[in-house]
Amino acid sequence: MSRLITITINDKPYQVEPNQTIMQAADKLGFHIPRLCYHPKLSIEGACRVCIVEVEGMKNYVASCAFPVSDGMKIRTNTQALRTARRDIIELILDNHPQDCHTCERDGNCELQRLAASMGIRARHFEGERKRYEKDLSSEAVIRDPEKCILCGRCVRMCSEIQQVHNLTQAHRGFHTVVMPAYNMPMGESVCTACGQCINVCPTAAFLEKNYTQELFEKLNDPNLVKVVQFAPSVRAAIGEAFGLEPGLNMEGQLIASLRKLGFDYVFDTQFAADLTIMEEASEFLERLQSGGVLPMITSCSSAWMKCLEQFYPDLIPNVSTCKSPMSMQGAVTKTYFAKKKKIDPRKILSVAVMCCTAKKYEAARPELMFDGMRGVDIVVTTREAAWMIKSAGIDLVNIQPEEPDHPLGISSGAGAIFGATGGVMEAAIRTAYELYTGETLVDIEVEAVRGLKGIKEGSIVMDGKEIRVAVAHGLGNACRLLERVRQDPSRYHFIEIMGCPGGCVGGGGQPYAQINSIPLDDENLRKRAQALYDLDKAKTIRRSHDNPDVQKLYKEFLQSPLSPVSHQYLHTHYKAKTPVGIIPRNERTLSGDSK
Amino acid sequence: MADKQYKLTFCDGSGCLKNHAREFRQLFEEELRRHQIQQNVQIHLSGCLGMCTKGPILIVNPGYILYGNLRSEDAPEIVQEHLINGKPVSRLIIQEDHLYNRFFRIFGDSEFFGRQMRIALRNCGVIDPEKIDDYLAMRGYEALAKVLTEMTPQQVIEEVKKSGLRGRGGAGFPTGLKWEYTAKQSDPEKYVICNADEGDPGAFMDRSAIEGDPHTVLEGMIIGGYAIGSRQGIIYIRAEYPLAVQRLKKAIEDARREGFLGERILGTDFSFDIRICLGAGAFVCGEETALIHSIEGARGMPRPRPPYPSVSGLFGKPTLINNVETWANIPVIIIDGADWFSRIGTATSKGTKVFALAGKVRNTGLVEVPMGTTLRDIIFGIGGGIPNGKKFKAVQTGGPSGGCLPEKYLDTQIDYESLAKAGSIMGSGGMIVIDEDSCMVRMARFFVEFTQDESCGKCTPCREGTKRMLEILTRITRGQGKPGDIEKLERLGTMIQKASLCGLGQSAPNPVLSTIRNFREEYEEHIHQKKCRAHECTALLSFVVQDNCVGCGACKRVCPVNAVSGNRKEKHSINPNLCIKCGQCYDACKFNAIAKV
Amino acid sequence: MDLIRKKRAEAVNRIISKGYLSTKRVYVGMATCEIAAGSKEVMAVFQDAIAKGLTDVYLSQKGCAGRCNLEPTVEVVEEGKIPVKYGLVTPERAREIIERHLKKGEVIQEWVI
Repeated sequence: MSRLITITINDKPYQVEPNQTIMQAADKLGFHIPRLCYHPKLSIEGACRVCIVEVEGMKNYVASCAFPVSDGMKIRTNTQALRTARRDIIELILDNHPQDCHTCERDGNCELQRLAASMGIRARHFEGERKRYEKDLSSEAVIRDPEKCILCGRCVRMCSEIQQVHNLTQAHRGFHTVVMPAYNMPMGESVCTACGQCINVCPTAAFLEKNYTQELFEKLNDPNLVKVVQFAPSVRAAIGEAFGLEPGLNMEGQLIASLRKLGFDYVFDTQFAADLTIMEEASEFLERLQSGGVLPMITSCSSAWMKCLEQFYPDLIPNVSTCKSPMSMQGAVTKTYFAKKKKIDPRKILSVAVMCCTAKKYEAARPELMFDGMRGVDIVVTTREAAWMIKSAGIDLVNIQPEEPDHPLGISSGAGAIFGATGGVMEAAIRTAYELYTGETLVDIEVEAVRGLKGIKEGSIVMDGKEIRVAVAHGLGNACRLLERVRQDPSRYHFIEIMGCPGGCVGGGGQPYAQINSIPLDDENLRKRAQALYDLDKAKTIRRSHDNPDVQKLYKEFLQSPLSPVSHQYLHTHYKAKTPVGIIPRNERTLSGDSK
Repeated sequence: MADKQYKLTFCDGSGCLKNHAREFRQLFEEELRRHQIQQNVQIHLSGCLGMCTKGPILIVNPGYILYGNLRSEDAPEIVQEHLINGKPVSRLIIQEDHLYNRFFRIFGDSEFFGRQMRIALRNCGVIDPEKIDDYLAMRGYEALAKVLTEMTPQQVIEEVKKSGLRGRGGAGFPTGLKWEYTAKQSDPEKYVICNADEGDPGAFMDRSAIEGDPHTVLEGMIIGGYAIGSRQGIIYIRAEYPLAVQRLKKAIEDARREGFLGERILGTDFSFDIRICLGAGAFVCGEETALIHSIEGARGMPRPRPPYPSVSGLFGKPTLINNVETWANIPVIIIDGADWFSRIGTATSKGTKVFALAGKVRNTGLVEVPMGTTLRDIIFGIGGGIPNGKKFKAVQTGGPSGGCLPEKYLDTQIDYESLAKAGSIMGSGGMIVIDEDSCMVRMARFFVEFTQDESCGKCTPCREGTKRMLEILTRITRGQGKPGDIEKLERLGTMIQKASLCGLGQSAPNPVLSTIRNFREEYEEHIHQKKCRAHECTALLSFVVQDNCVGCGACKRVCPVNAVSGNRKEKHSINPNLCIKCGQCYDACKFNAIAKV
Repeated sequence: MDLIRKKRAEAVNRIISKGYLSTKRVYVGMATCEIAAGSKEVMAVFQDAIAKGLTDVYLSQKGCAGRCNLEPTVEVVEEGKIPVKYGLVTPERAREIIERHLKKGEVIQEWVI
């Protein structure tokens, strides 16, 4: 415990800890200095200049997010001169920003809007030229609108520091500064993994998911289609936040009821497919383990992670599980097993998925996942889009009576539920693999070693005397670090779970925006959402994937057995290396990072 | 001048004046008249020659005979024995082997060089920059040898601190202190950087210094590396200086070959090497943290400080970064001593400064003068005043980061504090002289256009604010100024100064604010009367044919829009509604019959 | 320290061996500003003359002489005489300088700074 120092804020003395910035000290004391580019998980940028304060002895204003406190420092946060300067800075941002709040996606939940209101900007003094850029709609998942960008740099730092994809950077200078992928490639052709974290941290609508709500509303009104929907575990744990509820409430029943009211004929649960995925994947792992196949095996449910792998780690493609993600498996069995059962023409089925994830939009469009000339999932909407549709249709998700999902693709085990949290896939897989391999019941089915928000988690389990070492990583940056370890020592682990988003799917690119008094990707939020899923698991009677009776029925009636030819046809896929512009293949790189 | 047999230089610096130099000179001149040889002799006065303890000083050329400690009775002897009999008076000759004095060997034109004191540029124009032999002959690398064999790193830092040298890149931070901070860091891996990314438009001090004498920069850096405990130096030089880069490369190769760079320099345990890193065309990369990011391969954007580069700089290691001119001064301080150096200049700013004198002045070029020289001395003394009989209007110092100073500041003694108090900055040394034919509003607009172009775009005040200032200034120069524009410029300018992240933004409004402060009437004339008194803003100009028009029709022939009418041998006239103000008629008229109004 | 003195002596020797002590030393300014004003051609004239047999002249280049509006500059230094600095030297003037000054010892006043 270091000695406390004294600083003065607005003429009052306070005892604070040293080695922190003015903003951190002020936050703890209850002075909320306005800010835009600062985010506690990202490096300090000091770019927006909104958080400026006066420090006695310094000629100019000082960015409180960057300046460290020192003993005896005298700080003023709210002088008239400061207020005018801050107001002018925000006005300068507004003068170079479209004036279309009413029709903007972030209307009502935009950080710039809130700041402008708090500065009390009534007149505009400095209006002039406004930057004009085309919207980049090339990606299936994430669209860019550089006109709305305020150049806070959060997306750049998120993409570089936490996700380590390094797709975005500021380019050009002066008035023409713009955030874009390298060489101004369209997002769809760049190395963007579609993880959507840029959307999560963006304070305005400069990044958004590609919106399918209009198309979906149209199709919902088409009487010729059989409308089937599935929704991910993480969606039920977070959708309440979009309706103003506390984070961490499980709104499964209400969501199902709302989706039915929205017009869906059948409401299924992706958790069912999660159980199915575990059946396939655990079997695949055991087969590799027993017959000397390529290890470690790496999970493949995260589509952002898959794009990252194909681009940056193509040498590890043989390690990846050939299983599709739960969403795609669900789509496949919907249009085959379910369609046959109900005697519906699969071409008349509209398969919709409500996902916490933006990359799933990209995944649903991947040609490798098609079968019999059809896509498994036709439309993917994010939690945000679904929430908007429900509100727009006047459905009261908060107070509606909860309902149950439909059979035969609706019921799920607790193992399927925890898929949304980081470590959940691994835990579910262990529960099944252990019992399939040893034939015994795993008593401690809550594997604490793989739970929690640590970047890379390691654990091990002994199955019939054989030690199985596992590792879990969340966030693409941690994934890359983990894979470097694998490259150095391939025998270090047997089984690896990777989720592309920090916190796992609960922190996905499609989850509701942070509330007014919170920040994006707040750790507490992520923990609460994950906890909702773990509680859901605890409350279920069936907690292991292989105990799911509908899954067993599915195998009996259609798939025969895990890894059977039928399973391979519909539930497995293949991956190949991709090199968008800007990627130098690994074997052509020299030590200094230049190409030969 | 070559008719003269002898050229005499009397030191007229303040040190010698205290020693009755003027009385000595008057007596000397009387002696010359007495012997009637004053036509054979050319007399020059120079500024302080830096030998104040041995004054008064007299240099006789040819031969560079250096007389010192002169008293009145010595004058007749020198005239008789040396000038008439051709025998120098050996008892009066002093030995002064200052590093910098060599320049006077090629004393060519004292109007320009007389008042200068070339320390950083001591070898420029004297030696062949591509021959290390020339540099060695001028006592090159002697400072390095002294440092490595006779001084500890701490002693070197003390010497630099004692000299009072301040960073010549513009900020003026005490160099010795910066060295001390960096040396104190315990990280074994440290870097020494030379900032040769001279981005100020019109500034060429660093370029000339490197093109004329690259070895002095190398020597300074090696000494710096020894002082702080670094093994690697990097020179970040803008790619737009190909000749400087080439000469630097050759210098580094030669230095390596002779054992001044590399392992075990001069047989000691100290190893140091230097590599060159090219800039990529960004003015902002002259800012130290942006420069460091550029070397690291990242986008050249500054970052908030603290932490300062001396604690965490290149690749996160303690880094010492100084300007070319600062490095060039180091060998002189070591050889000639910090005491001597600190006697030059003012109380707060020691040593000399190189200025790039340019603009409406007779003699343009690089001038290096002791701190404390007045602006008047530089512009009218060394520069030769304003040509073509025009009136002086203002002097712009410090490039796009500086301000414009009108006539009332001409007697300001140049140093960091006094220029700041006057409303400008020292900057890296740009000095542009402006006469009555230049419009201050257009000048301010030019600089803001530059900074807006070069702004890295990271922080809001600089990126957006300079754009808005530029828009207002452009409107004003086009005759579309509105009441309230000046107040808007002041409000924006003060905010940008105080809220920007780095020095580029913090100083970008300086030209605007200083011109508003000192030339407000011009702004008001532009806005309210739509008049530009310097006749530069074309939108506010009218071209009017005067009475002395002879009707030759030359203007009519060149007018692209047929706005000129008139018959042969009759006074022509220009239709203001058609005139596009291209100025062709003005240029074409051989009788000066068209006036810009 | 001795090492550096030795090096200096060696360097001076090298310079002298190249003809430094010859009667006339000619320096042509060769910084970017001077080259832009045409000093490379002027240098070529002098080099040419030496190649064609002009003796007793030590030709060298120097850096920026600081006189930006009077470039190209050429300096002629002789022992015992005041150094002469010519400004605005064109290749034709350079030839004149060689003929009149270097060969005949006449200082061309109009071109002197």
